[in-house]
Amino acid sequence: MKLSSFLQAAAIFRKDFLVGLRRRAAFAAMAMFALTTIASLSLALGGAFVEPKLLAALLWVVIFFAASAGISGTFEDEAAAGTLSTLKLYAARQAILFGKMFFTLASLGALTIFLLPVFLILFDAEIARLGIFSATVLLGLVGISAAGTLTAALTVSASAKGGLFPILLFPVTLPIFLPAISLTEAAFTGAEFSAEFLAAMIFYDAILVTAASILFDFLD
Amino acid sequence: MNKIYLESVSLSFGHRELFKNLTLEFPAGKTFGVVGANGSGKSTLLKLAAKILKPDAGEVKFHGAKTVAAVTPELKIYDTLTAAENLNFFAQLRGKAVDVSEIGRRVGLDFETELRAGDFSTGMRQRLKFAILLGVDADIWILDEPTSNLDGTGREIFLREIRGGARGGKIILLATNDAADLEVCDEVIELPAGGGDF
Repeated sequence: MKLSSFLQAAAIFRKDFLVGLRRRAAFAAMAMFALTTIASLSLALGGAFVEPKLLAALLWVVIFFAASAGISGTFEDEAAAGTLSTLKLYAARQAILFGKMFFTLASLGALTIFLLPVFLILFDAEIARLGIFSATVLLGLVGISAAGTLTAALTVSASAKGGLFPILLFPVTLPIFLPAISLTEAAFTGAEFSAEFLAAMIFYDAILVTAASILFDFLD
Repeated sequence: MNKIYLESVSLSFGHRELFKNLTLEFPAGKTFGVVGANGSGKSTLLKLAAKILKPDAGEVKFHGAKTVAAVTPELKIYDTLTAAENLNFFAQLRGKAVDVSEIGRRVGLDFETELRAGDFSTGMRQRLKFAILLGVDADIWILDEPTSNLDGTGREIFLREIRGGARGGKIILLATNDAADLEVCDEVIELPAGGGDF
């Protein structure tokens, strides 16, 4: 990405942050979905012990569906307001993609920081390996952000975008969840973790970001 | 010299052939008026010239000119941002530092206001769109019905800035249904009703 495109992406990130702060709708949707899911599961289990592997899977299920509730609006809100055409006229394609991708990553990061303490308290869990946990969450969120931003751009002109978005996003993000769940389980239990899983996440994230960058230029 | 060159451009919508083998040249320093009945393709011609729309055949080339800015009904501004935030955002996208109060004075808009663009009247929004066009300092100006919804003062400001833009070497394309707007045009292109050859 050229320097001018990087500066454009930074401007788009700042603009999305400002608009997001004032509208708050997308973040509220993600946060409420996450809180409702965590609270419902916690109440249903009634304080019973949950296997670390299941706990790890639950965390990623919550993150995935909360992300689905918020990311789809990345382009949809701009298209509905009529500003997407203006943005395309004034900014480079790659700047739009990466500006939106960084904003999605920041939103998901904030969401995770917000929901994680609630999750750990309600499920009486603790993180034994903070380093591997942080790396896993970061890599997982990068993958979801890259796939989610591209999918949001793909579905923006579809008539049934609400249903189409999670259907398209799920198979693309599935390869992230398999190693992420295993690594998160290791972070909960303090057991040895597989470096291959970490490498696989880095590799798949790189593929997703590259593919998003290449494919975005072909979207109208 | 900067110019836009449309070479044997054709465009159809379904079975309707709007332009066929259209060749036109728009050199810098001139304002071109585009007139015609509703549906004759005024806005479409502007989009083709700005490369917002791709032709079915032929080619649109920019010689020298690189950047496009536009005031059209379809291009919206951010309702949740203030006038100054909108102007600064679009200027940043083009790497320009703008003197907000100077542009505000030129278009007759108060950029000190905390009001968000969503609370603006239609005329104020139109002035803000024009302020953005001035702020990004593009080589090509695409103006589609720019004086609609403007009061007398607003119209005078627009026409004055268009004259200034042409003097400053901009390539200006102006589609209008208002004959009074044509006073700033150096050449006028009249599109036939229903499209086709012209």
